[in-house]
Amino acid sequence: MSLNPELKSARALLSRRDFICTGAALGGGLVLSIPLLAQESAPQRVPAAAAPRPPSAFLQIAPDDSITIITPAVEMGQGGHTALPMILMEELGGNWQRMRVEDAPPASVYNNPLFRRQSTVGSFAVRGWYTELRRIGAAGRQMLIQAAALNWGVPAAECSAANSVISHPPSSRSCSFGSVAQAAAALPIPQDPVLKSQGEFRIIGTSPPRVDVANKVDGSAVYGIDVVQPGMLFGAVQTCPTLSGTLRSFDDTAARKTPGFHSTVALPNGVVVLASSYWQATKALAKVKVQYELGALAGVDSAAVSRRLRDGLAEQGKLARDDGDVTAALATAAHTLEAHYEVPYLAHACMEPMNCTARVDDSGCDVWCGTQAPQDAQAAAVQVLGIPPERVRVHTQYLGGGFGRRGESDFVTQAVTAAKAAGRPVKLIWTREEDIQHDFYRPAATIRFRAGLDAGGRLQALECRVVSASSPAFAFPGPPFYTGGVVDANYAIPNFRVTGINKDIGVRFGFWRSVNESHNPFMVEGFIDEIARRVAQDPYQFRRSMLLHPKAQRQLGVLDLVAEKAGWGKARPGHSLGIAGFESFGSFIATVVEVSVQAKEVTIHRVVTAIDCGIAIHPDNIRAQLEGGMVYGLAAVLRGEITLDNGAVRQTNFIDYPLLTMSEMPRVESYIVPSTAPPGGVGEPGTGPIAPALANALYAATGERLRSLPLSKHGLTFNVART
Amino acid sequence: MNKLLINGVHHDVEVEADTPLLWVLRDAAGLTGTKYGCGIGACGACTVLLDGEPARSCLLPVSAVVGKAVTTIEGLSADRSHPVQQAWIAESVPQCGYCQSGMILAAVSLLRKTPHPTDAQIDGAMTNLCRCGTYNRVRKAIHRAAGQAADMATGHPATT
Repeated sequence: MSLNPELKSARALLSRRDFICTGAALGGGLVLSIPLLAQESAPQRVPAAAAPRPPSAFLQIAPDDSITIITPAVEMGQGGHTALPMILMEELGGNWQRMRVEDAPPASVYNNPLFRRQSTVGSFAVRGWYTELRRIGAAGRQMLIQAAALNWGVPAAECSAANSVISHPPSSRSCSFGSVAQAAAALPIPQDPVLKSQGEFRIIGTSPPRVDVANKVDGSAVYGIDVVQPGMLFGAVQTCPTLSGTLRSFDDTAARKTPGFHSTVALPNGVVVLASSYWQATKALAKVKVQYELGALAGVDSAAVSRRLRDGLAEQGKLARDDGDVTAALATAAHTLEAHYEVPYLAHACMEPMNCTARVDDSGCDVWCGTQAPQDAQAAAVQVLGIPPERVRVHTQYLGGGFGRRGESDFVTQAVTAAKAAGRPVKLIWTREEDIQHDFYRPAATIRFRAGLDAGGRLQALECRVVSASSPAFAFPGPPFYTGGVVDANYAIPNFRVTGINKDIGVRFGFWRSVNESHNPFMVEGFIDEIARRVAQDPYQFRRSMLLHPKAQRQLGVLDLVAEKAGWGKARPGHSLGIAGFESFGSFIATVVEVSVQAKEVTIHRVVTAIDCGIAIHPDNIRAQLEGGMVYGLAAVLRGEITLDNGAVRQTNFIDYPLLTMSEMPRVESYIVPSTAPPGGVGEPGTGPIAPALANALYAATGERLRSLPLSKHGLTFNVART
Repeated sequence: MNKLLINGVHHDVEVEADTPLLWVLRDAAGLTGTKYGCGIGACGACTVLLDGEPARSCLLPVSAVVGKAVTTIEGLSADRSHPVQQAWIAESVPQCGYCQSGMILAAVSLLRKTPHPTDAQIDGAMTNLCRCGTYNRVRKAIHRAAGQAADMATGHPATT
């Protein structure tokens, strides 16, 4: 048996004593570990495709066989700390029971291959990392096998790896990963590792216990708000209620006399009061007299926002899609239909209010927080301190909810500003009121639709004018961002025009779970329903008839599945069904809601959802995400609304921005379409379908079409049926 | 000086009398499993047991709990062995997990009074808010734990 020359030279790199097989410990030290490219500068750069990401940045195997996976996705409840390690461990052949997970520091090696930034957003984590983490795991496995094979003097091809053990059946030899990991780390990284076939998967497609669950039932999980640093002060913050406001002056004379007071730090739009305890800080803050300049939003209320959006309908806007000739088709249509839909601003309302702990000293800066974007958190500190990024260390903690809110770093900026001023570590915690009133809001939006149908009731023309309270700064390539969920409709419509009109109101806005698909489907799928009813067609069959083309196969699949599972066409007496479906974050989703209505009292009997998200990595977690997304959407549909008065958010806390409660939680059924396609997103898609499906069900029940949210504005009250 | 009994252990804490128990637990006693969510008693993230009864610690001045036994999530068991914790793990309830300490303590209290709660009783007792939407799993976990522990002891060692 001879080794090929390449293996011989590789073997020469290795010292014999690196090979201590069958579980013997090397006496400490991580192996398969080169120095991390951690905390480096040059954010948001993707390594060249030719340079494989080093497995050591993602994977460390200790001599005792314990495995550490460094995940590029943070954990905010979406299951990233479980799903991404599953993908890597699948190919590695590692022992799942011996694995622990760490959050990645800010570094470009952790940039999502699809999103190209190190941000856990947009349901990109599994989608972006699926192939890359398989390659990394497979590369690690090959290196481990090769190290063992070199040691044994056998061909690597005769060896296999499973459960953290490398075996060579012909000689009945085996050794553990930990025993060869150090040797493996010295081998070249395979450029083109061989991946398993889907039929060989042993972890992907199963539902192991999520790695973060145990620590979340005994209080030991550490969130940003739980971080403690020696000598730290506590910070309470108040910023101008009017969202365009800036600080004019403050008087903290009275606050200085309160127990534990340390100092007041000015922010561009408010103040932070530092004290020895958080309670002392909040009490002292209440005694600070603050004067603000209100800025451009002074006098702006929700009616003005609504007017500005409607005014936008008359503007030319930017063409996002223009198939066929909509103008001509509308002019010759046998039936036409026009409708106007509107949705309000929404706040994220993560259960953990925004917070951050920061320390600034001679060595640079340390930032502890729950963040969806560690590089952005780092950049925020760099901006405040003017020091190089590599001197800002970001320590990502569990996130008590993210939903897009923690992709922003405003709270990091504040904490670093306060820590710099104080010369001591500062833990800054927002009140719930600050959290609701200083969010980055899901933008208010409106769409005006016009449809033209031929004599046979077929949809020949659809015109959508989408007006969003978006921002010019928020420009991605391609069609206007905020037309997502409209411009990409999969229905076969010969003449289809979408125009985007940007009306920047000046209210800061951001990514709210499911982003555009949290609200645009309410409008599009509501109007599609209207069209079906206008020509007396069944809403499910009408959608079906426009999804018979090859590109819509998967959307048709989920629509058919959800219709079957919900018993479409067979509603119980007195019950009504509503349906909606669309493509969302690389997945296809459809929902049917079953309701009954007595006067203005709506009973939701059941919510049935089907998703085709490609390969289902962790089916139990996918169901949890579908359900959770639906709850997030349902709270908004029923009564979620952020309104403005004098440029300030009227809502303050959960009493006037109410979330869904246990007693309002409907029965839910979730179905996953078996698929071998690459993974799609699962965190976001569940949010959007509930609004149109519910509104369409209400139309079926009452004949009244509801074109604006929340539904509570239409005088409806809601309850759920338990059986 | 406030003498407190938290999870069976006596603590002497020096804070102003109006300091809510929540911040005493988190910042003075180092028990961060109890969470701040709203500060107005609306969300239940700060739920603890006070002589076995659920209480929203964000509204409870420390002066009001002197002489009462406080149980936090850390005091429920030393090893996650409490039947409610076990049920929570078995049903994989938590997502972000931030509300779950309060949820679990509310469930413990419910099950102690009502060992086999109906869905309506669960709806009535579980007023904690969860933004991730874990309600149906919370419900399943409560049903799973139901009856498993007739004596839903708080788990912490006897008062010393």
